[in-house]
Parts: sequence; C-alpha cells; structure tokens
Amino acid sequence: MRPGRILALSRYEIRRAVARRKVLAVVALTILIDTAPYYALAAAGTSLIPATYHPFLWVVGIFIPQAFFLQFIALLIAAGSMSEEYEQGTAEVLLSKPVTRREYFLGKYLGGYILLMLVVALNAVLTVSSATFIFGPQAGLQVLPLVLLVQVFSGLVFYSVAFMIGELVRRSSLSYILSSAVFFTSQIVGVYLTVIYDLTGQAMFKTASLYLPTSPVDSLPLLLAEPRLPDTVQFLFKLGDVGAVETSAVLSAVLIALYSVSAIVIAVTYFSRVDIAKRIT
Amino acid sequence: MATLDGAVKDYGSKRIGPISFTVESGEIMGFLGPNGSGKSTTIRMLLGLIRPTSGSVRLMQKDPISQHEKALADVGYSPELPNLQTFLSPAELLTLTGRLRGLDRRATEDEIPHLLEDVGLTEYEGYKISRLSKGMVQRLSVAQAMVGAPKVLILDEPTIGIDPAGAVHFRSLFREFVRNGGTIVMSSHILSEVEALCTSLAVIHSGSVVYRGELQKFIPTWVGSRTVSIELGEAADDGLIQALSKVKGVTKLTAEKANLLIEVSKDSDPRGEISRLVIDSGAKLLSMGYSRDELQDAYVNSMRGTTE
Repeated sequence: MRPGRILALSRYEIRRAVARRKVLAVVALTILIDTAPYYALAAAGTSLIPATYHPFLWVVGIFIPQAFFLQFIALLIAAGSMSEEYEQGTAEVLLSKPVTRREYFLGKYLGGYILLMLVVALNAVLTVSSATFIFGPQAGLQVLPLVLLVQVFSGLVFYSVAFMIGELVRRSSLSYILSSAVFFTSQIVGVYLTVIYDLTGQAMFKTASLYLPTSPVDSLPLLLAEPRLPDTVQFLFKLGDVGAVETSAVLSAVLIALYSVSAIVIAVTYFSRVDIAKRIT
Repeated sequence: MATLDGAVKDYGSKRIGPISFTVESGEIMGFLGPNGSGKSTTIRMLLGLIRPTSGSVRLMQKDPISQHEKALADVGYSPELPNLQTFLSPAELLTLTGRLRGLDRRATEDEIPHLLEDVGLTEYEGYKISRLSKGMVQRLSVAQAMVGAPKVLILDEPTIGIDPAGAVHFRSLFREFVRNGGTIVMSSHILSEVEALCTSLAVIHSGSVVYRGELQKFIPTWVGSRTVSIELGEAADDGLIQALSKVKGVTKLTAEKANLLIEVSKDSDPRGEISRLVIDSGAKLLSMGYSRDELQDAYVNSMRGTTE
C-alpha cells in the first residue's frame, strides 16, 4: 500500500463530503446547538446561573452533542461515502487507476474520519470560546484533550457501521435510512430496557442495554471525564440527560472497538470480493 | 498487451462469453457490437472492475484483479458517458489522477497544462466540472486517461458528444499516441470513426466474439461482394461500360450519368484494371474507391451471421 495514494484519496473524500450540502447543514446545526445555549443564557442574564458553575459551563457544550449530533454526523459522513460513488459512477473511474481496493477503502475511510475529527475539534473550539466569552475563564480544561480523543474514538462505532451499510447496499438513500435506523433503534431499545429494568428490577434488562452500540458510545467520554472534574460539575452532567450508564470504561472501550472492527471487517471483505458496479441509477 | 482467454461473466440472467482475443502492442483495436452485447463487460473485466466467472484475463501480462496495481500502472481508461467528480475542477481532477498514478506533485503540475491544451480545455482549467458541457466532460475524460503517459488507452465511446472538429482532433491525438508506442482499445458505435482510426477489429455479438482481425479483412469476410464507386467527368460511353463489364471479378455494373457502381466479387481487387481502362478511354476519372457503407454492411451482416 502506498501512503501517497491513501492520502490523496483521503483528501478527495474530505472534499467530496464537504461538497455534499447535507453534511455541511448538519455541521452548521451542531455548531448552532453547541453555541446557541450560551448566547441564550447570556440573553436571559448570566446572573441566573450560580457563579460556582460558570468556570465549568464548557462541559454542557462538549457533552450534550456527544450523545446525538456527533454520532449523527459520523453516520451522515460515512453512509454516503461508498454508496454515492457507485450511484454517481465515480467508483469505476477511481478504481480503474492503479489503486488497490484496500488503498481506496482505507483512503475513503480515513478521509471521512478525519472530517469527523475536524467537526469534533471545531465543536470544542466554539464551545470553549463561547463559554469563555460569556461566563469568563473556564476551568478543568486539562481534561478536554482526553475527552475529545475519546469522543473521536466513540464516533468510530456509527461511522464504521454506516460505512459498512453504505458498501453493502450501495444505495445512498437506503444506506442513510438503514444507518439511522440502527442508531435510533439502539437509542430507543436502550430507553425501553432501562424502563423495564426500573419497573422489574431484573438485572438482565440492564445488562442487555449495556451491550447496545449506543451505550458505550454515550458512556465512555463521561466515564473518563467525570472522575477528573470537581463534584460541582456533576450537576451539569445531569443537564439534557447527560449521564453515563453504569458500566466500566474498559468494557465501553472494548465494545466500541468490537463494533467498529466487526463493521470494518465485513465491509472490507465484501468490497474486496464483489464487482464494482457500473453507475447505479 | 491485453489477453482474454475464454473469459466468461455469468450474471445469472445473462451470460457473456467465452471471449478470447489478444491485443498486440501498437494496435488501435476497434471494439464493435450492439448495445448489451458485452463490450462494457469485456472492458470492465480487462480493468479488473469485475471478475470473470471463468477463463482468464491478462492486462500487461498481469491479472487485473489480484495484481491490479501492476496491471493498471500503464493503462489509462476513459469510460462511456463519463461520470466525473462534479465538485472538482479539471485541473483538480487531473491532479488527483496524477497522485493516484503515483506521480509526484511536480510531475503532475508540469503535465496538466499540456493535457488540458491537448483536449482543448485550457481556458476551463478552474471551472467546476458540473459547469462543463457534455462534450467538454468527454474531452476531460480522455485527458484523465492520458495522465502519466500510459502505454495503453482503453476508451469507451471516446468521441461521443464531441463536435466534428473535436473528433478529428482527437483522432490525430490518438494516432500520435500510437506513433509514440502506445496501444488503443476503443469501443465505438461510430463506424466511420472506427474505419478512419482503427487498424484492427473485435466484433462481439450476444456475448461472443464473431470477428477478430484486421479491419481490411473484416469487410471481405462479411460481405458477399464489394462495390467500387466511380465518379467521372462526364457520362461513360458504351465502349467503356462494355470494357469494364468484362474485367475479371466484376459481377454487375450500374451506370447513372457520370457515376458508375461496379459490383466485384469479394476475393478480387480489380481497381487497378478499372482505373487503367477508364484512363485509356480518355474519360476524366474524378474519384474511385470502395463504397463508404461497406463497413456498415459488413458489420450488420456479421450481426446477422450472413454475408447477404
């Protein structure tokens, strides 16, 4: 494998994803959701919020989008990555070059993933600067690099699953629908299992909910950040239902890796064995 | 350069092959066949985009599936109705192609202006591809196939949508490519283009190759007789018509004022004798040659499987 070709394909994938306005629209929406609450609070009056929370309000903007929007952006970037190339007939143009299928796959996978990293970084910069601008200097930011790293790692699950589905179905609209269905079903089933556990007290429902793909993704950044931040911040974690389910960071990391690697292996295996279709209309 | 040996692609509902032929270095091979006959499947098997169900395919002596990188290292491909990346500009697309072909940035930057000039797109270098006309996209598709000076060009309908002057220019571009040691495999439905450019033919019908060989031998193979068309300065006299009718190989002669249509058996070539008789008679010979529709007739006959 030649790194130069993988890099060229990664750059190409970033350009391609940005050229799709739906990805840009969701990124813009995420930025709005990250920063608007700070400006809304400023409009309402910063004095309404106890001063002890002011240095830690960056936590709200960093963790609230984690559970939903970052995963959804990961999904939107990945779902069309392979499928749109088949639909537009551009896959055959690229693969008729001296590019191996592994280089093509890796280049596109990495390109989309780098874009996701950039979105996470942009989200962090906007959140911290908005919180600083409105509520003054922020504290506990030494945790932020770790949190961002873990958010990017957590994003692997739905990024890889959507990437896999895109390759398997090779239709972008179907890929978006199925990938979103996996994400929302996991969220909804998780809620149901938790409710059933609360009602019945039977541990199996709780255990089952921990193994759903959304559970480790939602939990890991919080599990790693919470012990490293003062107790006063715990209240902020409760905002917007931000709260880790009871599980270990190690189990969450293993589950994230397991889901992601499984999806990648399936996608690579399928891609390396199946014909490159002519333009699909 | 390229070899298919009993290559079969079974789609379940349709089967293409077995296809066997070899393309030698320096050839311009026209690949003819009706829609759905298997031309694209054959080209896509050569490019390693699809796997043959059975048989073997070699491009530059390599398996285009398992040795894709090596097989395609010196091969450029321009697809039919190219679907290029509309969000890129022509310069960006050629840069990407150069990178994928393993060229360094400097080599690619040096080559791009020449390629854009060759295909007449210099002034559209920075336009988004989505803003280019169909013909311009076709020109760009040929340019991207030529990035990195490949030895083999595989062109699927390369001049479709291109204006007549552009098509003539492309023909000279392709001839120059072959003069410089290149080989071309070209699929086309434009028979006049094939006749003007190609040195050999592969004709495919219903998934099977019905002819593979020199272009000049294709016509006698698939027509029962050939027609020599003559234009004189004035109407032919009876003596000349009588003399021409007696030339060996002439089976029928039709005279209409100054135009003569002489049907000759496909195994003979009496053009020398005919021209000598015309000149000896004192008539002015304005033009003489085989009928322009011969390739079309031969092609249609090869599809029907008959020389009639």
